[in-house]
Amino acid sequence: MTEVSSRARADLRSTPPEISLVDLLDRLLATGVVLSGDIVITLAGVDLVEVRLHALISSVRAQPREPKPGGERDG
Amino acid sequence: MTDTGRYLYAISRDITDRDLPSAVGLRGAPLQVVEHRGLSAVVSTVDLDEFGDEALRRNLEDITWLEDVARTHDSVVRVIADLGPTAPLRLATIYLDDGKLRARVDDLYDAMHRTLDRVEGRMEWSVKAFAPWRDSVPATGEPSSSASGRTGTQYLMQRKAESAQRDSAVESAAALADELHRELSRHAAASRRLPPQDRRLTGHEAAMTLNGAYLVERSVAGDFEAAAASLSGQHPQARIDVQGPWPPYSFATLDDS
Repeated sequence: MTEVSSRARADLRSTPPEISLVDLLDRLLATGVVLSGDIVITLAGVDLVEVRLHALISSVRAQPREPKPGGERDG
Repeated sequence: MTDTGRYLYAISRDITDRDLPSAVGLRGAPLQVVEHRGLSAVVSTVDLDEFGDEALRRNLEDITWLEDVARTHDSVVRVIADLGPTAPLRLATIYLDDGKLRARVDDLYDAMHRTLDRVEGRMEWSVKAFAPWRDSVPATGEPSSSASGRTGTQYLMQRKAESAQRDSAVESAAALADELHRELSRHAAASRRLPPQDRRLTGHEAAMTLNGAYLVERSVAGDFEAAAASLSGQHPQARIDVQGPWPPYSFATLDDS
């Protein structure tokens, strides 16, 4: 995965980003900002699986200096 | 063999594969248009090893992965926005096949057309304002060494005055943010205030008082910029950031309630 990622990043550098990551995530992840409410994945014809991103943006925001205590994860 | 899905970047109208000759999507995959009743869904194929439900839950917590995908998503949305009205999708909207994607587009057909009508010929601008003061006054604690020699009453009075000053600075910063937003909205077809961004993310010590998004006609973008520059000049004490034009991310919401 790291190999793929780094190649994609190199491609992007040719055009300097005009929008900061924070602004971009504000728009691509924040509640009710864009077209679709949630990640939509249909798995093997079963119902839509929704991954809610509200919690994610908080974890992104808390990331710089505040690792989660204990490193436990909800299942 | 790896299972694949279809990653949806944006919905537009009347575009075809031929309009996207050299643009590539995630992991270098070619962009394709799934056409449905005049709506054009721009997609590329992704491996479910990386973009499937389980992998996504894990990858979305990896900030490097997230940035990489968000930047590619944005670069594709920009290509589409240059071609016609564009409703960008939320990050990581993935369907297992084009049939399911078409069914979803069909469900939202009318709302999508209304959304595209609303953003057609318009782009998004961002204007942020930061409070002019630094709220680094100590909030608690003992009298500092410089306070020695003063009486307790003098100390308390000083603290009270500092607190009042801070309150009044907060109030005037909020009032200025309201005024900026009101003025800028006059030059926009639509506007909204996004939640202020956290200081840890902006890298500014000052608090953000306005995180405004403005949907502006391309033909009057110059007027909007001039208005923002003029407001910035009138309020040299506030830091005002103007950015754009961007695809209409904040205005491509569906209104099918």
